[in-house]
Amino acid sequence: MRKFLLSSEKLIGVPLVLFLFCVPLFFNAFQVNLMGKFIIFALLAISLDLVWGYAGLLSIGHAVFFGLGGYIIALSYTFQNGTPSFMKRFGIEEIPVFMQPLTNIPTAFILGLIIPAVVAALVGFFILKSRVTGVYFSLITLIMAALFQMIVINLQAYTGGFNGLMGLPRLPLFGKPFSLTTFYYIVLFVTIAVYFFAKALTRSHFGKVLMSIRENEERTGFLGYDVSNYKIVIFTISGLIAGLAGMLYVSMNGFVGPSDVGIALSMSVILWVAIGGRGTLMGAVVGAIGINYLSNSLSESFPEIWYLLVGIVMVLVVMFLPDGVYGSFKKWLESRNASA
Amino acid sequence: MNFLQSLTDGISVAAILVIVAMGFAITFGVMKVINLAHGEFIMIGAYTAYVFVSLLKMPFVVALIGAFLVSALVGMLVEYTVIKRLYGRTLDTLLATLGISIILQQLARLIFGVSTKSVSTPMTGSLKLGTVVIPNYRLFIILLSVILVGITLFILFRTNFGMKLRSVSMNRSICEVLGINTAKIDTLTFAYGSGLAGVAGAVLAPIRGISSTMGIEYLTDAFMVVVMGGVGSIAGTALGSALIGEFKQVVAFFSTEVSASILLFILVILVLRFKPEGLFKVERR
Repeated sequence: MRKFLLSSEKLIGVPLVLFLFCVPLFFNAFQVNLMGKFIIFALLAISLDLVWGYAGLLSIGHAVFFGLGGYIIALSYTFQNGTPSFMKRFGIEEIPVFMQPLTNIPTAFILGLIIPAVVAALVGFFILKSRVTGVYFSLITLIMAALFQMIVINLQAYTGGFNGLMGLPRLPLFGKPFSLTTFYYIVLFVTIAVYFFAKALTRSHFGKVLMSIRENEERTGFLGYDVSNYKIVIFTISGLIAGLAGMLYVSMNGFVGPSDVGIALSMSVILWVAIGGRGTLMGAVVGAIGINYLSNSLSESFPEIWYLLVGIVMVLVVMFLPDGVYGSFKKWLESRNASA
Repeated sequence: MNFLQSLTDGISVAAILVIVAMGFAITFGVMKVINLAHGEFIMIGAYTAYVFVSLLKMPFVVALIGAFLVSALVGMLVEYTVIKRLYGRTLDTLLATLGISIILQQLARLIFGVSTKSVSTPMTGSLKLGTVVIPNYRLFIILLSVILVGITLFILFRTNFGMKLRSVSMNRSICEVLGINTAKIDTLTFAYGSGLAGVAGAVLAPIRGISSTMGIEYLTDAFMVVVMGGVGSIAGTALGSALIGEFKQVVAFFSTEVSASILLFILVILVLRFKPEGLFKVERR
């Protein structure tokens, strides 16, 4: 009898997608909204996995790109009702010139993709072209996250400051906002599409060069590849995806505030990818959805203990399970299939 | 507020920064470990000061020494249980210390609660020089940081441990061949770096609120100092701290704190791009 050899990706991915498809049929609006946010977090985790898992660049500032996208689209929504009240409070009666393009939502949507990508490209250009090693990249992105949060809080006249921006609609690209169910499925389809795009990217020649950079940067350089250019390109793509995730997030959440853009979220994404398993894409998805699901059900009853547990699990995963939960499962299955 | 006042305030900001950054730079230089939990050792020091001064009513000097010892002990524990097992995996140490910083923050929150704690100023009064006013406590901070830099230099260049430490930072495997117990050097180095962070925390306790998340801004500042000053040079660390402390105060005087931080970030990126060995590194070869 012929044995079925299932890949771990299908074994986990197919049931997960089936489940996510059924969520609006069986759960109430609050839970659909929550699950929608988790899917968006998975999208963000995919963007981090591309740079970290495949190119070996640990970005501790991914929430910046997420937040840039989010704030751009959120400001655009707010501008639909004329000059927002938080601007008027600072004596700004008209929408400032540099924010004028945001009054049109489709333009803002495109800018929400381009601006995070450009910021990523600029930071990448300055840091990755330099002779310094990967830790410097990590720390620069960390400082960037701290700085961005500070800017958002302090430029109250332009960002709404601490209070954030509230009452945001679900992506009214064509005049009317989407219904929750429609938007949920849009989010799901976008995430699946990006997943397959990322998969194709990592399987392409480009992706293989990235992985060889991760394994041995010097040797890849000697083979004639311009290592830093490859890293800059993947960081830019990753920034663009994170910006997209941010735009979907604020539309699903109806709110964006400084806590959605700073170090805390950046570290959370790292946590999801690390625990799920980096360099597999599916690990990032499993980590993001799984941890958020658990955290949501557990953190209400014991918030402090939960975060303590998260920290402990993170240290244990780094020490004893460097491939993460999904990555280890994948390896175990592969070795089993190989012997079968 | 006048300009001279900003300049002198900058000195005391720089003085705290030196203490923080020295610990960070030593662990990075010797062990090639970026300690993302460095800020949390500052927090531990600050809470220790709170326990000693505000709860146990002990003199501030005891709190300073206590903060050093407590932070150093926790640092030793962290190094012994986690970091030692991750050698050569730089990005993994980064991740592990990230996890440790979450653990330490949550532990602090569990023990001390979420409300901000404070410590009363150990000395009042101030020195007036023309229009410039320097509180005595700020003078004390400056003096303390000079003393700590002196002690660190003494340890590095006049003791047996310091000599081993410097040689490990230059060539680890040769040191092992020569029979130096590098594992022990690492543990002690990490403990000393953490201890310095603890002292910085105790010094900060009377002049700002103590909370579980107070460490992060000092971590980023310490890193910027290391970029400016170059790795593994105490003089570079001191100059880098002075530069960043003054830069922040002076730019904030002419404009705002936010623009100071943005300019500083751009400056750091430019330095990394064009002079990655730091601004004050003298070429030796």
